[in-house]
Parts: sequence; C-alpha cells; structure tokens
Amino acid sequence: MAKMMYRDAVVSTIAAEMERDPNVVVLGEDVVGGMGTAGGPEAIGGIWSTSTGLYGRFGQDRVIDTPISESAIVGAAAGLALAGKRPVAELMFADFIGVSLDQIWNQIGKFRYMFGGKTKCPVVIRMAYGAGFNAAAQHSQSVHQILTGMPGLKVVMPSTPADVAGLLRQAIRDDDPVIFLEHKALYATTGEVPDDPDFVIPFGHARLTRAGEDVTIVSSGLLLGFCEAVADRLANEGIGCDVIDLRTTSPLDEEAILDSVEVTGRLVVVDEAPPRCGLAADLCALAANKAFSSLKAPPQAVTPPHTPIPFARELESAYLPSAEKIEAAVRKVLNWR
Amino acid sequence: MAEIRPFCMPKWGIEMTEGTIATWMVKEGDAFTKGDMLCLIETAKITNEVEAEYDAVARRILVPAGGDAEPVGALLAVFADAAASDAEIDAFIADFRPAETGVAARSSDSESPSAPAHTSASARPGRIATNRPISPEALKLAERENIDISQIDGSGRNGRITLQDIQQAIRPTAKPVFKGSAQLVEDNAGFFASPLARRIAALHGIDLAGIKGTGPRGRISRADVQALVSPVPAARPVAAEFALNPNLPEIKPFDRIRKIIAQRLTDAKQQIPHFYLRISVRVDELLALRKTANLVLNCKASINDYLVKATALALVRHPDVNIQVHGNELHHFPHADISIAVASPKGLVTPIVRQADRMRIDQIAAETRRLIDKAQAGRLGLEDMNGGTFSISNLGMMGIEQFDAIINPPQGAILAVGTASRQPVETAHGGIGFETRLALTLSVDHRAIDGAGGAAFLGTLKQLIEEPEALFV
Repeated sequence: MAKMMYRDAVVSTIAAEMERDPNVVVLGEDVVGGMGTAGGPEAIGGIWSTSTGLYGRFGQDRVIDTPISESAIVGAAAGLALAGKRPVAELMFADFIGVSLDQIWNQIGKFRYMFGGKTKCPVVIRMAYGAGFNAAAQHSQSVHQILTGMPGLKVVMPSTPADVAGLLRQAIRDDDPVIFLEHKALYATTGEVPDDPDFVIPFGHARLTRAGEDVTIVSSGLLLGFCEAVADRLANEGIGCDVIDLRTTSPLDEEAILDSVEVTGRLVVVDEAPPRCGLAADLCALAANKAFSSLKAPPQAVTPPHTPIPFARELESAYLPSAEKIEAAVRKVLNWR
Repeated sequence: MAEIRPFCMPKWGIEMTEGTIATWMVKEGDAFTKGDMLCLIETAKITNEVEAEYDAVARRILVPAGGDAEPVGALLAVFADAAASDAEIDAFIADFRPAETGVAARSSDSESPSAPAHTSASARPGRIATNRPISPEALKLAERENIDISQIDGSGRNGRITLQDIQQAIRPTAKPVFKGSAQLVEDNAGFFASPLARRIAALHGIDLAGIKGTGPRGRISRADVQALVSPVPAARPVAAEFALNPNLPEIKPFDRIRKIIAQRLTDAKQQIPHFYLRISVRVDELLALRKTANLVLNCKASINDYLVKATALALVRHPDVNIQVHGNELHHFPHADISIAVASPKGLVTPIVRQADRMRIDQIAAETRRLIDKAQAGRLGLEDMNGGTFSISNLGMMGIEQFDAIINPPQGAILAVGTASRQPVETAHGGIGFETRLALTLSVDHRAIDGAGGAAFLGTLKQLIEEPEALFV
C-alpha cells in the first residue's frame, strides 16, 4: 500500500500500464505540459497535473499534445483504437464533450455493435468534471447522466485514489470504450493505493462504504464524502446508513442498491447532475420498480436544481448538494408518516 | 339609530372553549321574536338549542351550519331591526371585536393577527387565505382538516405545497425504530459480494472468500449465501402452508366525540398526578338488603345505585374529596354531584346524579335510569353533564375484576368498581367461609388530595357498604 493523491493515482496507473503495454498512448490538450513555451516540454505541467512525467518517460510518440479541439482528440483516439492501440485521451473539461459527441456517441459507442463484434474500440476518455471551483456554467458540469444514457459506453466515476488505480487499470485493459470521469475537487485528496501492479476493480461492482440497516444512501464521486459524513453523524444517534459508492454508472450495480433497499426500506440518492432525466431519478425509479414492497418512504433524490451552475460562490454553494441537504433528505425518509 | 346586536359563540360552563353551529333555525332576513329557536350549537359535551332573547331580524349569518368549531366569543351572526341599513350592518361587522380576544383570535386563517376573527361574510371558518403556491387539492384538504399551512415546507416544484405534504402534516409523527449501523466487511478482499449477501454471511458466520458467485459479473449474491445457510425450514412443513395476507388496517379518522374523549383523557392523564388506592369490600349484606329495600321502595335499584348513594354519603363526610380543581383553586361542595360513566353508542359520556347524598335509593334509581336512557338516545343536554364533584366508573357487570380509571377533570377523584365475586376468607374461628367481595380502586389527584384523605374516604365508603343500613338513615 502506498499513500498518494487522487491525481497521482491517475498518473502512476497510466505510467504503469504504458510500461506494461506498448500500445497504450496518451493524447490531449497540454498533456506534455509546456510544449512551445520558453522552458520547453514539461516546464509547466498539465492543467490538472494528471500526465506529469509521462512525456519524459515515454516520448513524443506515446504522449501526444493536440490542438484545442475535442473532436480532433476523440476522433484521433477512435482511429488509434481501431488500429490496435489503446489510447487514453484527456479532455480538460467534461463540459466540452459536446463538440466531440458524434465521435463518442455515433462512432466509438457503436463500432463493436455495428461490426457484429468483429472489431473493438478500446478507448479511454478521461475528463475532469464537477463544480465547487467558482468556474461557472461551462466549466463545472457533471455529464455522466448524458453518457450513461448512451448504450455502448462504460462510465466510471471513482471517488478514492484506490478506486482510481483499480478502475483506470480496468478501463485501459477493457476492450470497450470507457468514459473515465475524475472530479476536480478530488484530485488533491489522498488515500492508500494497493501496490499490486495488476490491481483491478471490475466494472459494475458498487462499494459499500458504511453499513447500517435503516437507510440506503447511494452516491458517487465527490458527494460520496458528504454522504459518509452524514452517515457517521447519524450513527451517533443510533441510525444506521448503508452508503453505496456506485463506482460505475454503466454498467450499474442494481443488485447492490436493491439488496440494500430490501433491508432498509428507505433510499436517498445523491447526485451532482441536475434532476431532470438524471441518474438520481433513474435510481429512485429502480427502487420503485423493483423493490416497491420493501419501501417505507418515497425514495428521495438530492440534486442541484434544474438550472445552469451559477458563478457566484454563494450561489454555487447554494446550488450544490450539501451534507445538510443530504441529512434533511435522510431524515425525511426516516420520519415519513 | 337602529339597534344592531352581535350574536356570538356563547360560553356554557367553565370548560367550554369552542362550539360548532349544528343547525340554523333562522335564515338571513328572517324576523324572530323572543323565545324563538335560533340555532343548535354543539360543544365538546352537548348539543343545545339557543333561544332568542329579544325580537329582531337575522340580518347577517356569518358562520354557516356544519362548519368548523368557532372559539367562544366569535361573531356568528348580526341581529338588528329592519330599520338598520346594510351599510350600518357592514360597518358594525368591520368594527366588531370579540369580547374574549384571547380565546377568539384564530392564528391559522388570518394573515394579520390583529384583524378581527371575522371581518366579512367571505371569511368563513376553515377558509385559508394565502399567497403561497399550493395545489387545489392540497388547499381543499388543508381547509377541510384545518391545517396551518404556514408550518409546511412545499415539496413540489418551486416550493409548491402538494397534496402529499398536507397528508403528511395530518398524519401523526412517525416514531421509527432504528437498527443502527453495522460492521463493515472489507471490500476488495479478493471477492465481490452484494451488501445483503455479506449481511447474511455475517449473520450465519459464513466466510465468503473462495465462494464462487453466480450473481451479475460473477458476484456473490444473496442466493449464493442462502444456499450455504443450513436448511432449517424443511423440518417445518406447517410454515409453508400458512400464507400471510397483507394485514392492512382500515383507516378511520377520529369522529368528533372520539376527538374530545382523546383530548380530555390525554390532558387528564398527562397533567394530573394520579395515585391509586385499592380496597376490597364485602357486599353480602348490601345484596341481602337490596332485595328488601327494593321491595319496600317499589323500585329496581341496581347495586350501582346503592354504590352511588354510599359514595355520595361518604363524600359529604369527607369534603376534601368532594371537590373540583381549577388551576390553583380548590372548589369544595356541600353536596355530592356524582358523574356516572355510561357507554353510549357515540362513545363514553358522564351524566351527573345531582345531590345524590340527599336522594333516596329509589330516587337515585329513577334518575340514573332517566340519564342512561337519554345517553343511549344521544340526547344528553348540558344540564345533564356540566359540573360534577366525583365520578364512578363501573365495569363489574362486564366481569372486570378491578381496574384503574382516569380522573374526569376538573374533579379530584374517580372510583373504579369491579365485579362482585365469591371469595374464600378466614372466619372468626380459624375456618374458611365464603363472602361476596367487590374490588374498588380510587384514582386520586395528588395535587388536591393526599393519600391519608383518600384512604379515610375509602374507609368510610367501605363501612357504608358493609353496613348498608346506614344508607337509609
């Protein structure tokens, strides 16, 4: 076990996989970190420091700076993958998938299906997502619900450095396209990461991070930490919470949620994306459809409102789900009459 | 100047705080003369007719029949002679202030608390005036149930109050029982298992490592673990044949009488520090005497009638028990007005045998017969139930051996009477004989009556019952 930051788990896992498999290549905006500046390559580092040192170790053929064009990055990654490489593409901000949506949605996500399984497209598209940085409406969004709704893609949302290592290694080794969503606010968090060079976490296995039999709280990414804080606080009152970290939204670990709801009878889903047609609504519906007779209260969704993300710091914090809002939702289902 | 007079919710008795108009017997515009019936008003205890005290015209009726309860002092109607103009009537209503504002001010349906209880004919009871977003069905329900919507957070879009919000507000507070947090079994331990599978495994001490999962993506699921749990149910075929039906309750809201019983008894049990004194009395002599006395008096007095008489005599000898408690005041009474608990079709009622200490047994029997008949017909009036200095509740005829009753405020004590039964007792010479005995429990308000006072009263009562000739002195 080694203690490291979330962002370092990204870099070290990519580096280890590049070491293991010469077909793994990295591409994206400023992944070299300073190309063309006075100091030269790696003088400055990438915006999120998630490719630090890769250029020095693996060279320009495997660490490729691209123009500021998400369609070019994703399109090139798709071509590389079809040609037998295992590209790890980086989008600085998940908000900009819009311009590469045809590549992601109609190409990458459909190749294997449309060619009858005779080809594969093992792309990993990493993106930084999430609010909390006073970065306004175009640089703060959570896009997982759009991508989770597209068959043909796997969508991963790690919440800890260990999950980054296990899930990113699985993503790179996976033969299907994987969207790998990294929350900006988690990059500087630290945690223990297994040293095992083959440590993988298979997709579709949610993680139970707190155990209790009174209410089920489902979340992912940054908000998981809030949920755990609420669960710890309620544990002091003798209220037990099952806290489930989804890890992957596609494939979805339905069983983990339904099993837990069958025991607790109460569900709160916490998600950073807006409410309409969202993941939280989807999981509430799942419980209503498949665990109806166990429910003691209507499942509650804790999400931001249906508005763009505000810029002002006060408004942004009012917009985001908080521990207080989560606790209120939990108490609502606990005290349902 | 035309004379305009308000007609307000009357206050009948010290405990009346509100009343409901059951029926109007006059319409707007009707002229009436002194002594005419104006309306029927229903209170917590009774329904009573209201007579006109003067001649006038019913110019305006502000509270319709069958609405919600109005506080004492609330303006119900305006009476005047025909000479008064409509403008004068309107001005009178606008300027009207209830005499007892402390009671009459309603917080829920008035936007500004200083406004008079009812300023216009449109402000009917239960009508909620609000600018908050609320769905029409939710508003209807809130008005019907008299819910204070200012206390409700709307869960609908943009904070709109939904029907579900009102339904939640109506229901009693939930009292969930929590199971608390559980031991977290380390994940990533070389196997994947669903939370429920892990829970079942922990319950049965099963080690999940090395088990092959058959769930989604090779995970150990509930079925895999349950297969490993030793099969117990096979030995109990009976359990398989008994299928549980959903045992769903039929939900009925409290009716008016039930609400009143619930409120009064909750208040009594919560606010009055009860203590209980138990005693057993021999009734063989009383039973023997009853036959003769009933023959002589030509009546059918029951044991309960004799107990009322005995209790009344004991009460006048112990004035510290023959009381009412009002706040910090004790009211002592020279005579015993005894409330008798009667199960009527509408619920528990407590009509009063007044000055029972002064009545002969046959008079008591006639009076209780009259009251019970009235109660069964649901026709008890205020004069039958208002006041009382002591209560008797008798469940002996239903075979109850003994029980503890809840005090009927503002009274200070209540006697619970059980059934008479033959019991073995030690006789004078050390042998065994049988006596008919009755268990009495006195519930006492310790704020007003002490243990010794209650015990002395019971002692007297016991003596009166065991030597019943004294009842005829």
